[in-house]
Amino acid sequence: MRKCKVFVGNSHAELGRLVCQRLGIEPAPCSLKKFANGETSVQIGVSVRDEDVYVIQSGSSSINDHIMELLILVSACRGGSAKKITAVIPQFPYSKQCKMKKHRGAITARMLANLLIMAGADHVVSMDLHASQMQGFFTKPVDNLYGGPSLAKWIREHVEDYQNSIVVSKNPGGTKRVTALADSLKINFAMIHTDRRRSKDLYSQNKDMKQLKMRKQSMLRKNRPIVRPGDEENEEENIILTNGIQTARLVNGHVIDDDEDDSYESGAMNSDQEGSISSDSHPIGGSYEAAVDSDDDETAEEQQEEKLITLVGNVNGRSAIILDDMIDRPGSFISAAEHMKKNCGAKKVYVVATHGLFTGDCLEQLEKSDAIHQVVVTNTYPIDQGRLKYSKKLVIIDVSSIFAECIRRDHYGESISVLFESLASL
Amino acid sequence: MATNSIKLLAPDIHRGLAELVAKRLGLKLTDCNLKRDSNGEVTFSIAESVRDQDIYIITQVGSGHVNDRVLELLIMINASKTASARRITVVIPNFPYARQDRKDKSRAPITAKLMADMLTTAGCNHVITMDLHASQIQGFFDVPVDNLYAEPSVVRYIKEHINHKDAIIISPDAGGAKRASLLSDRLNLNFALIHKERAQANEVSRMVLVGDVTDKICIIVDDMADTCGTLAKAADVLLKNHAKSVIAIVTHGILSGKAIENINNSKLDRVVCTNTVPFEQKMKLCPKLDVIDISSVLAESIRRLHNGESISYLFKNNPL
Repeated sequence: MRKCKVFVGNSHAELGRLVCQRLGIEPAPCSLKKFANGETSVQIGVSVRDEDVYVIQSGSSSINDHIMELLILVSACRGGSAKKITAVIPQFPYSKQCKMKKHRGAITARMLANLLIMAGADHVVSMDLHASQMQGFFTKPVDNLYGGPSLAKWIREHVEDYQNSIVVSKNPGGTKRVTALADSLKINFAMIHTDRRRSKDLYSQNKDMKQLKMRKQSMLRKNRPIVRPGDEENEEENIILTNGIQTARLVNGHVIDDDEDDSYESGAMNSDQEGSISSDSHPIGGSYEAAVDSDDDETAEEQQEEKLITLVGNVNGRSAIILDDMIDRPGSFISAAEHMKKNCGAKKVYVVATHGLFTGDCLEQLEKSDAIHQVVVTNTYPIDQGRLKYSKKLVIIDVSSIFAECIRRDHYGESISVLFESLASL
Repeated sequence: MATNSIKLLAPDIHRGLAELVAKRLGLKLTDCNLKRDSNGEVTFSIAESVRDQDIYIITQVGSGHVNDRVLELLIMINASKTASARRITVVIPNFPYARQDRKDKSRAPITAKLMADMLTTAGCNHVITMDLHASQIQGFFDVPVDNLYAEPSVVRYIKEHINHKDAIIISPDAGGAKRASLLSDRLNLNFALIHKERAQANEVSRMVLVGDVTDKICIIVDDMADTCGTLAKAADVLLKNHAKSVIAIVTHGILSGKAIENINNSKLDRVVCTNTVPFEQKMKLCPKLDVIDISSVLAESIRRLHNGESISYLFKNNPL
């Protein structure tokens, strides 16, 4: 590749090395150091005048330093008269802050986008942005690559009897992503909803109805799939019924059985009363955002209270694949897996995501959970070697080929839209 | 506290909502002349001084002639700016082009971002909108955006008009699952989801219902209803699964194309929209339509914004 330089930042040197290897080039020499006072110093060891420059920098645990490093690197290349600078950011940092959370929240992802453009980036390449709308934050072109095809390929090859497995979203917000994967694998999907406010009454109602539903479900299962031809103008449209709601209670982030829950009754009553008082004080209130954002990480405080977890869909006797764009905190994954395994009869539970952030002891907790069979992520985010060795459930899919191909095509001015489907699983 | 006063501006078409808001604020709409030349260009002038005033331009974008409305709005903003207004706020409850908010296909434009840039370039200092198709659109603007919610008004409507004890909230597609689940939390109801699988080559498309709706009043919620084809099909699916009745509640009832026909022929009991989009004429053609008035929310947000009070109260509560 003539007139092309690839710089690899410190955040994820391993991925950068793999991408360069695939491209058949060496990473361009540069020294990334820190002064004693904590400032980052960047020196580019090769001429970039009139060259096509790619800077690979992902998120990492010391995220702010690496963002600064990326900005300085881009700015240095701009100062060195590079023709075009592309920031390759496999896992876009701060991408969870892509909308106003709560009131008066900052849209930090947009700010970061502005910073990148200010520093001099002409083009941004990323993978599975938390919300695809983030592409609109930039005034320069953004290519959002998909990890989905690689994950789908892994599922096809490694999940036993995948045609009968179910893709599950652990919160309603992620359902869109889940249905896309389910459609591409041509399998069914389900959804989990964790609920903080619902009163005990409804739970006991559900408990009574559960018996009924179980019966109904078993009937359904016998003659599944129930395909009824649409009887009206659209004859080609078939309707498939996927009935079944499963509810269980969650205490401290873990599913508790129906029989052993007496000790929690009193606590539950208290929280119910509190709940009813607070909801009475806003008789007509409520907002989409006021309910704690179900997309995102639960704080330790919230985990203390009792919640209801509901599976909408049917996973009985099948493998369940929990899909999300990133694994950050373990709580919701573990409770979802426990619920499906213990109460809903799932055979095996896989946890699949594009970005494995594994903050804190997330990986260890996922490892410890009996309900989770395997954890699958791509290598967009660096994972500590030590943790990697210790882990038995973790599977890492290499996506460096996608980034390498994207860089190659971009450099030669070829279309990268093929990467979105066919080539992506190479 | 602001020492200047509010001036409410509205274009000549679709003034209904603006008049409701003005009435609630106890103000009159500022006189202005909007003329269309024979060649289609727009001439605009404000009939009284707005120097150092707080201007609120209340505009509704209905179905059809969207681009005309957008350009009129931009001209109004610019006219206010050149007339030395202190601050220009655009109240645009139904944000146009909100559905084109990402590159869903290769080489697709992000027109929502372009809209945001155009509004800012024309000179607007603040935007008030409602139920943005994706809340990330807030990040497209360089000026503050207040994204109000229709949800408190919807909750109120459900409590007052529907026997919600037997109801279940339905999301007509996977993308709306979050909206539906939050509303169901609010009302202490269950929710279910309908998913339409895209037809592959040589394969039939099918609707999948996830959840149990037997003998329930189904309330389909969505942020936008355009041709209502999906709503009608969803109603068929729900009734086939033994639902008692089906009601649809949407924030932005664009109701373009064959929408009225679709609703009249469908098995939907009622379609309820807020008045963010003008559809008065359509209500005469379709007895199933009902309206939720959200002018109080807009009026209150304008009042609070002008007086420098917090708007977050409106995210949870519906002012009377």
